[in-house]
Amino acid sequence: MKRALTVALLVVVAIPLLYAVAQLPQHGSPMTPPYTHISPRYLEKGPEEAGAENIVTDVILNYRGFDTNGEVTVIFTSLAAVCAVLLGSRKGDERPAGEPSSSAVPVSDVVSFVVRLLSPLIAIFAVYVMLFGHISPGGGFQSGAILAALVIVTTVIVGRKQAEALVPVRIRRLLQVAAPLTFFVVGVSGLFLFGDYLAYPKTEGQMWLATAWLIVIGIGIGVGGAAVLASIFWTMGDDS
Amino acid sequence: MSRAFDITLLLLLIACALAVIQTKDLLGAVVIFSTYSLIMCLIWQHRGAPDVAMTEAAVGAGVTSALFLVAISKTVRKEK
Repeated sequence: MKRALTVALLVVVAIPLLYAVAQLPQHGSPMTPPYTHISPRYLEKGPEEAGAENIVTDVILNYRGFDTNGEVTVIFTSLAAVCAVLLGSRKGDERPAGEPSSSAVPVSDVVSFVVRLLSPLIAIFAVYVMLFGHISPGGGFQSGAILAALVIVTTVIVGRKQAEALVPVRIRRLLQVAAPLTFFVVGVSGLFLFGDYLAYPKTEGQMWLATAWLIVIGIGIGVGGAAVLASIFWTMGDDS
Repeated sequence: MSRAFDITLLLLLIACALAVIQTKDLLGAVVIFSTYSLIMCLIWQHRGAPDVAMTEAAVGAGVTSALFLVAISKTVRKEK
């Protein structure tokens, strides 16, 4: 009986959904709204209207800034969830019997040498990607991921204690919320200056301000993203 | 030439995806999965999306692999 009901319910839900899908324009058709007027508008007006030469940055931080604001909040929430799950039930939580932890294996000289050689270059590249995201491919998310990877390999080489000592806990807390915080600050500035949350300056003479905001948000997302990813790694690797 | 390159990458991608599912050794699966991400990164780059390629290389091949490795070191290495 229950089974029949389930099937009936599924069919009832599936028919409208399939009907709706059938109404969608053909996939990849050049006649859909994104191709007829949205993309051309972005490609033509993006650089002068949104403040960045890199159109991808224009779209994710200006035209679709609200979506990105939500995304960085989601990233921060993921860290909160990891901390809640892993740090909350630490007491009396025995590790399942298995192979010994990989941290017992000493790091090989080759790995250590290569990481020490490449770390400065990776750091410079990450900062370059962060600051030039409005001109060349890249931006906050990308540089955040590169920085996080740098922090993780450094942690593997020098050990977690020394790596964590470089960033005091209080500063770390601040860095973890850097991305949503920057967005919030810029958004509220837009609210007061231009009347809308995340509104960007639009007139000719104010374009430098729009570009400056894009760079500031890029830095915020980069630092915040790196802090969140590195903190997830540190929290998961916590042995105590 | 470009088309042949694309098809080769896509076939490698499918092979990697199947291999990840088939591999019982989770450490091996993580290595294959990061290969999958690298191939995906090449595809993004080849399709003209360097922004996404950069993210894929750093997050897909780098950070998630590290997180998977930590998770394995905390649990067990073999799939049951």
